[in-house]
Amino acid sequence: MESLNLAHAHLLLNHLPTIGFGIALCVYFGGFFTRSESLKKVGLVLFFLIGVMALPTYFTGSAAERSLCPELKCPADVAPQIIRKHEDLALFSFVLMEITGFFSWLALWQLRKTSKIAGWNWGLVTLLSLASFGLVALAAAEGGEIRHPEIRDTAEVALPVIEDAESTGVARSIGAVVAGNTGVGWLWPAAETIHFIGLCMLFIVVLLVDLRLLGMAKGLSFKSLYQLLPVGMVGFTLNLITGVLFFLAAPGQYVNNIEFHRKIVLIVLAGINVLYFMLVDETWSVGPDDEAPLRTKIAAASAIFLWIGILYYGHMLPFLGNAF
Amino acid sequence: MDFAQWLENTGFSVWVRESPRIFAFPTVLLLHTIGMALCVAVSAGINFRILGFAPSLKLSPLARLFPILWLGFWMNAITGTILVMQDATNKLFNLDFYLKMVFIAMAVVALRMIKKRVFLNPQVDKTPLPGNVKTLAVLSLFFWVGAITCGRLLAYVGPIVAKAG
Repeated sequence: MESLNLAHAHLLLNHLPTIGFGIALCVYFGGFFTRSESLKKVGLVLFFLIGVMALPTYFTGSAAERSLCPELKCPADVAPQIIRKHEDLALFSFVLMEITGFFSWLALWQLRKTSKIAGWNWGLVTLLSLASFGLVALAAAEGGEIRHPEIRDTAEVALPVIEDAESTGVARSIGAVVAGNTGVGWLWPAAETIHFIGLCMLFIVVLLVDLRLLGMAKGLSFKSLYQLLPVGMVGFTLNLITGVLFFLAAPGQYVNNIEFHRKIVLIVLAGINVLYFMLVDETWSVGPDDEAPLRTKIAAASAIFLWIGILYYGHMLPFLGNAF
Repeated sequence: MDFAQWLENTGFSVWVRESPRIFAFPTVLLLHTIGMALCVAVSAGINFRILGFAPSLKLSPLARLFPILWLGFWMNAITGTILVMQDATNKLFNLDFYLKMVFIAMAVVALRMIKKRVFLNPQVDKTPLPGNVKTLAVLSLFFWVGAITCGRLLAYVGPIVAKAG
């Protein structure tokens, strides 16, 4: 075995969304059957975590394709059409999983704010999680067929190799539009601008909440500051959308770019950091003029460190990495 | 134009632009982005609060965060000057650059007006905010978005004003 590469990472991570979602759904619906609020809450936490882990799962997919089909040359038993179909289903289920993760986080936030989750959000999370699971299962099945002719449909067993398979599919089409290949030149700069506006929105929460916990503006209570969190989450959402558009438009700039890998690792850690603040009670009892407990201060300092790090690696993509 | 050319050819400008070292151009631009995050995030956070987000959040303690805001502002004034210097023959003849400067100037004016009306009022958390502060908050957000947009687009649009000489 050669040293681990990103194809290994994809093969390892791609089990998380399906198996993880299966477990999360059991826990979530188990909570409804047993009327256990804490079980439902664990389900929400799992949905959020799967949303976070879906990022590296999705992004390593393109790297896996490049390992399997270097220079666009696939082995004889690999049909590029199946890879394209898998990529599209993976994109759709990735989007749904992120939306599910967002509303699961929103439910946890509502629980903190008013100790009750709004009725509409229960319904929404339930629908979204079922839809995500369905789609991700399809994406996984299609992904399995890439290397396993024995599970392909009879019609697909002997697929002819088509020349332009590389440029077919929804993911590739979106990428081509954003990259400006269809003559619309302003989409990439517009997405870059939104990426920076989202960054500032995200930093509102990062700076205000975490600097308070570290001792600045101590007159503010944590609970009142954390009401601002949706502003940060909207900022993150803008950046996730525009970031995925960049990835779709120029996957070659990212898949083998070590700065991008580091950025994604830090984003996963930042997701866990957000979860820490949602779940740990001692932070929420930090009232006006209170000194935050040491563990909270460490979490707050890590948050600033992580988000500046994410900004740093994003910025260095073209300078230290191989982008552009 | 002569001045712009001289500025662009000073030893320092050449080093920033052409040195392969990470501490040259990449770091100057990185600090410019971090400075933006510090300055705009604190200012926008205050604006969101004025507009009614996080209603139980007290305004007066937020004044303690102004040093962070000004730290970001001055970081960007310095790094911004360097970034203009090393590409003066383009940036100084680019309409987009001047538009950005106007947005920043107006954002600072709005910020100072908000500071006067909100943070220099000791009764701020006990009495309702004067109505015009909300308008200022909206304007402030608009100016920052304008400045960020013009700044980001500087990487894509070339000189719009015809080069003199």
